[in-house]
Amino acid sequence: MTGNARRSGPPWSVDLLADLHAGALDPRTEAELRPLVENDPEAREVLAALDATLEDLHNLPPIPMPRHVAERIDAALAEEARPSAPVIDFARAKARRAKRLGWGAGLLAAAAVAVGIVAVTVPRDNTAGDGGLAQPDKATNTPVTASALPPGSGKLPAVRGQDFGPAVGDVLKAQNYGPLENQDKLADCLRGANITAGKPLGVSPITLDDKPAVMAILPAGAPGAYRIVVVDPKTCGPDNPDGVLANSTIEP
Amino acid sequence: MTAAASSDADLITAHAAGDPHAFSELVRRHRDRMWAVALRTLRDPEEAADALQEAFISAFRAAASFRAESQVTTWLHRIVVNACLDRMRRRQTRPTVPLPEAGPGEPVAPRDAMAERETRLVVQAALDELPEEQRAPIVLVDVEGYSVAETAQLLGIAEGTVKSRCARGRAKLAKVLGHLRNQGADANVPVNDVQVQQGRQLEER
Repeated sequence: MTGNARRSGPPWSVDLLADLHAGALDPRTEAELRPLVENDPEAREVLAALDATLEDLHNLPPIPMPRHVAERIDAALAEEARPSAPVIDFARAKARRAKRLGWGAGLLAAAAVAVGIVAVTVPRDNTAGDGGLAQPDKATNTPVTASALPPGSGKLPAVRGQDFGPAVGDVLKAQNYGPLENQDKLADCLRGANITAGKPLGVSPITLDDKPAVMAILPAGAPGAYRIVVVDPKTCGPDNPDGVLANSTIEP
Repeated sequence: MTAAASSDADLITAHAAGDPHAFSELVRRHRDRMWAVALRTLRDPEEAADALQEAFISAFRAAASFRAESQVTTWLHRIVVNACLDRMRRRQTRPTVPLPEAGPGEPVAPRDAMAERETRLVVQAALDELPEEQRAPIVLVDVEGYSVAETAQLLGIAEGTVKSRCARGRAKLAKVLGHLRNQGADANVPVNDVQVQQGRQLEER
């Protein structure tokens, strides 16, 4: 369109002047248009208006990430950094839960998991071949998909045993107390296992070994430390330590 | 290795070697800027948080295979921007909520006069009204200070397209913000689009 700018003459459209202002015109057209525009007061006003607009945009303040979002992302990354299989003996942990050993066993399991996290520092994709640790169980390492869920469970995140990994991302995005309805009822359930909790980073109904449950992810006090708890919404309460089905701490 | 002095590339290397803190440190360095990009393009704090979480997890998993052909920051920012663009495309008709003036907990500087705050709100509101294809490059170039070349790389479009979309967006903003309030009617009538299109650099291909 070389020559169009000259032929079209003033008044030029705002869009054409905005293209000139943005350096979006080809060099020849720009070279033709620039001196014409500089001699046209109305066109200069448009360019000044575009400059003022740019200044307004430059002056928008930075928006720091809110703390709760930063914590949520830190928790998700901490979970991602965990080995893909539970470090504690899986069958033993399951048996423990089946026997409902309660809080003492939960604490032990959490401690074991925490120690494992400290010991194993490789990312998820690099976990194979560490002879000193439990090998990843492919069955428990499968990402959650709708087809993997039990009938009637909708799209609830599914957890098998203590392999929380596939559910953590979904739970962190949710603030859904499900049958517990609210934070107070969750807090009551956790009090049964002597866990004092504030607002969870994420909470969602899940299935634990195909049974309905509620998972919550809580700050664990220290920076970068998080607690994953799973409760049985039917039985949990301030007087029932067995209502807390799983209690695991992630430490950096 | 995760000391503040480590470069971004060092952190990626450390992450690939199994340092559990390296990737989190990388995220900490860039998260505020990325949060601003996500929030300003998606306009919904919940969606922005979801997009960032997805993006960082995706980057965490891909980081081991990262090759130093591009800068770490460009690579990471591109993953974030793509996550935001994916969400923008998916939600098309969903209503959005207005952005808060500042993030929760952000201290309000004492020098902030009411008029300044109002201006910012007006600018942010005007930005929110732009079509998404224009808002994303405007946010990156004019608000967050990325170069045209970086923005083109982040958005996966030609530099000429970035420039022309920015030009369109700025022209609309100038009108909405009242900077063009006194322009005559003629100045607001687009010239033949074909002429303008032909006049743009042939970078858009």
